[in-house]
Amino acid sequence: MNRDNSVLSVKNLNFSYNHKKVLDNVSFDVGREDFISILGPNGAGKSTLVNLISGVIKGYEGIIKVGGRNIKDSNPKDIAKMIAVVPQYTNPAFGFTVAEMVMMGRNPYISRFGMERKEDFNEVGKVMEKTRILSFAERKFSELSGGEKQRVIIAQVLAQDSPILLLDEPTSHLDINFQIEFINLFLNLNKKDKKTIIGIFHDINLAIQNSKKIMLLKEGRVYDFGRCEKVISRQSLKSVFNSDVFVGKNPITKKMYVSPIFSPTGQRAAAGKKVKKHLRIHVIGGGGAASPVINLLQESGYDLSCGVINTLDTDLDTAQMLGIPYVTEAPFSPISIGSQNKNLQFVKSSDVVILPELEFGYGNFSNLVSVKEAVGLGKKVIIVDKKSIGKRDYTGGKAEKLYRKIIKDGAIVVKSVDKVLSHL
Amino acid sequence: MGTGRKTLKYILILLILLILMVIVASSIGAAKIGLKDTSLILASFIPGINHFIDTARLDLRDIVIISQIRIPRIFLSIFVGIALASAGVIFQGLFRNPMADPFVIGVSAGAALGATIGLVFVKDIGLLNISTTTIFALFGALATTFLVYGISRIKGKVSVITLLLSGIALSAMLSAMTYLIMIFKTHDMAKIVFWIMGGFTSASWSNFIILAPVVTTLVIISGFFMRDLNIISLGDERAAQLGVQVDRVKKILLVLASLIAAVAVSMSGIIGFVGLITPHILRLLVGPDHKILYPTSAVAGGIVLLMSDTLARTVLMPREIPVGIITSVIGVPFFLYLLVKSKRQIF
Repeated sequence: MNRDNSVLSVKNLNFSYNHKKVLDNVSFDVGREDFISILGPNGAGKSTLVNLISGVIKGYEGIIKVGGRNIKDSNPKDIAKMIAVVPQYTNPAFGFTVAEMVMMGRNPYISRFGMERKEDFNEVGKVMEKTRILSFAERKFSELSGGEKQRVIIAQVLAQDSPILLLDEPTSHLDINFQIEFINLFLNLNKKDKKTIIGIFHDINLAIQNSKKIMLLKEGRVYDFGRCEKVISRQSLKSVFNSDVFVGKNPITKKMYVSPIFSPTGQRAAAGKKVKKHLRIHVIGGGGAASPVINLLQESGYDLSCGVINTLDTDLDTAQMLGIPYVTEAPFSPISIGSQNKNLQFVKSSDVVILPELEFGYGNFSNLVSVKEAVGLGKKVIIVDKKSIGKRDYTGGKAEKLYRKIIKDGAIVVKSVDKVLSHL
Repeated sequence: MGTGRKTLKYILILLILLILMVIVASSIGAAKIGLKDTSLILASFIPGINHFIDTARLDLRDIVIISQIRIPRIFLSIFVGIALASAGVIFQGLFRNPMADPFVIGVSAGAALGATIGLVFVKDIGLLNISTTTIFALFGALATTFLVYGISRIKGKVSVITLLLSGIALSAMLSAMTYLIMIFKTHDMAKIVFWIMGGFTSASWSNFIILAPVVTTLVIISGFFMRDLNIISLGDERAAQLGVQVDRVKKILLVLASLIAAVAVSMSGIIGFVGLITPHILRLLVGPDHKILYPTSAVAGGIVLLMSDTLARTVLMPREIPVGIITSVIGVPFFLYLLVKSKRQIF
């Protein structure tokens, strides 16, 4: 990053609390107009990082520069002119009015011996209009709803008139309508008012959908920092959060999304454990029939591949979300020689080939040929067969004939998806 | 809605009330002096106006009573009231707790023990014409303050919880020591109890001359931290984010408010509830903004204590009631009434 363009620069930041290292050699630069989300599990040091940057806690090693100036050489009011923090919530001990609350944001600009000036009132009026709280300016803060309160806090923050906004999970306790309202507001502040935004979000999707860059923090260290596509993957999230998630793409916005994988205790535990045998398994796909098998094997921790699947097929989504290799074919087209060969490559390099309950037509007949090849190569082949092949054959008996031959040649037939595991 | 003009308006109303109260209080007492004569006598003390007043027409006895007996006591009670209410506002703001009062960190127990030692063991040392009791009470109050403060300071930060707890603990110990002395010196018990209950019976100009400038200075200096106090009520972290030097401001205000409370308590004994209730009443009237609340509470504290003391010396004439009893007996029901009437609206 161009150093001249950075509004915030953190270098070799170390911080310990009660002899426990909270931040470990953290360095990064934030450019003007960036929108950065900091993600990491509880205890990764996110809040500490925000508190250090905003000058709330001291006693760190390293350098924090805001607008090119070391914050160690700045007084708290000067820092507050540069960086404003949006807290999770604020609970004043006394019944201040909305207007009084917002005026507190002008504190950095008012001298101890002075009074609020005209420009302070103007600024307060401006930000109250922007956050649509003018109508209840004289009401007591404590009597407002959660969403209204947060609007007041944001007005207080905007009254600081700072180029950098630090968001400390500002929407985590709000309903979705307010979450959307505030995220839109922050996006606007970023885009129109050219404010640099650095946020901690609990909601990973909220973060990756809206920020330009992501910082992953793990145990006080920067695990990765960069554009969402570069940083967010099933692997990186597993490593940072120690939990399993799908990483997919929103079909409408084309932005990435993450969704947690929930599974009953037994399978969840299996996912964490080492697999009994390390096996490469290739699953023949199509029509969504492979998805349950892929899901089960994935949770059991096997090394998977899948093919040949037509684009737009559910099985392809599954493979993409789980990040397993696959072979595709154009939608509604027969499997080409190229795809067939790629599929055979996967078959050859795997220990086990699984054939779920696919329906066969002339288009995907070559998938069955690949299975036959696998049996011929002496691979273990497992076939899920509940609905009789006769009812799944749209080739006028050609597929059924080959299918029977595969079984005769030694493929294992199971009656349900769960039974597959017992044969591995 | 300029804060300045709003403050000025309230202060002006309160000052007029205070002046009226001074006239009334100067007029009532064992010797009956009419309101008109009282006003004239009072006016004759004011430079600039005194030329227009024909003092020859006034009774010399009345002038002496008012100038040497009533006025010192009136002024002393006003300034102690100002001190207690100011310290009350500061402690409530600092601790973010409406239950805090000027004695919350043990100033009163320290003063009581000091006063007891002074009353029982020490002959009058006659320093600056101030009674030994007062000097010992001041010493006890200050020593307690700094002890509690020292205990609660950890790595340059003052922990509020530790402050309150060590204050309560130390108060208990100091009170126990006071009771111990009372048991062994039973013939002094009445004197000690009377001092502890608070009052202005021994008021004189010499006390006032010491008290007034000290209280005025401390109260005014504290006044420059009221914007910070507003923001601190959002919590330490939030205040720091808004550019307040939280630790520094807290330390300064703690020391100032403790000094104010210590000086007041050493002059008057332990007068309860003025420092607790006055800020609450004013919060209902002018709102929680400390920039307005603090100066108005200060003046109102003066009015409240002057009223209480006037009642204390007149309701059971010729007998005097300790003013602490008046503030509690009248102040508490009034406070409870406000509390019930406004329910949760105060905070």
